[in-house]
Amino acid sequence: MRPLFLPALLAAGLCALAATARADDPHLTIRDHRFEPPRIEVPAGTKFKLLVKNADATAEEFESFELHREKVVPPGQEIPVFLGPLDKGEYKFFGDYHQDTAQGVMVAK
Amino acid sequence: MTTIARPRGVLLCALAACLLATLARPAPARADYEIRLPEAEEGEWELEDNGSASFDRNRAKSGDANATVEIGYGVNSWYHTEIELGYGRNAGPGAPVVYQGITWENTLQLTETGEYWANLGFYWEITHAATPATPDDILFGPLISKDIGRTTHTLNLLFTQEFGPAQDVHSPDFSYAWQSRWNIFPIASPALEIFGDVGPLNHVPGLVGQQLLAGPTLVGDVSLGSIGNLKYDIGYLAGLTAATPRYTVKWDLEWELRF
Repeated sequence: MRPLFLPALLAAGLCALAATARADDPHLTIRDHRFEPPRIEVPAGTKFKLLVKNADATAEEFESFELHREKVVPPGQEIPVFLGPLDKGEYKFFGDYHQDTAQGVMVAK
Repeated sequence: MTTIARPRGVLLCALAACLLATLARPAPARADYEIRLPEAEEGEWELEDNGSASFDRNRAKSGDANATVEIGYGVNSWYHTEIELGYGRNAGPGAPVVYQGITWENTLQLTETGEYWANLGFYWEITHAATPATPDDILFGPLISKDIGRTTHTLNLLFTQEFGPAQDVHSPDFSYAWQSRWNIFPIASPALEIFGDVGPLNHVPGLVGQQLLAGPTLVGDVSLGSIGNLKYDIGYLAGLTAATPRYTVKWDLEWELRF
């Protein structure tokens, strides 16, 4: 069963290194099936943590093909989305469960 | 999950091996043509069908086909589970299509996507074979993925251990799967996939006796509006060793929905 130990050790090590939330982490809020703000600036060229809070009573999925992210945000909860380093430019994202209204753009500067 | 060459087919595989006079052992007891991602989506249901069909000029190696019907659920942000029924036929003329067994699949997402250099997950499944003459087995191992620019690379390293009264191989079998995907369009992105099965670890045959397939696939995610998303991964794999059928087509269709 030795193969089981390696991933368990790796996971434990990675968890120990887990980043904590910082005040300057960019934030997004989902309210009335829309992103607030719909356009958000983030740092280019570095990794960062985007915090996405769902203020609605139903789940939403933060999704972006350009950022290659797809993550469910349960109602009333906040989740981290780890991104970057991004090239300077614009990256579209949307809420997969309400694509008609939940649209946004991330601007990496 | 795709399962081929269950022990009922070992005799056929062994016969093919003798005919080819190249294999140190019969073809590995298990191969799989599914790329597993180290991800779990909380609250999402999945209905999935995946399978494969292999063809070869050697009739003893041709005609292997498998298909599964699965239902899965994302229990939380780090645990996804599925129940799968497997059907298939072994290679060789006249082999019947039979129910092969039931499998309980489990994916653990161990790291947040993008937080570290690579994303890490752990997969395990347990299969109860349809007939007492076929051993049950457990399959497990790490899932690793890494984004580089607009490409995504995924590696599965999996070990299979037979157990139960019908167990006939006592050493774990090692298999691996690799996918490199170029994320061009959401609905269709090209990928290269490689699948290998080296066989039992206590008696690893030479490369020519291992199963090794590689080829292009197309991967996509099509929005179905209020009724969810259809994800697919279809492709053509070429057999690269004498132990592998010359041609294999594979498909993985997944309907994601939320209630």
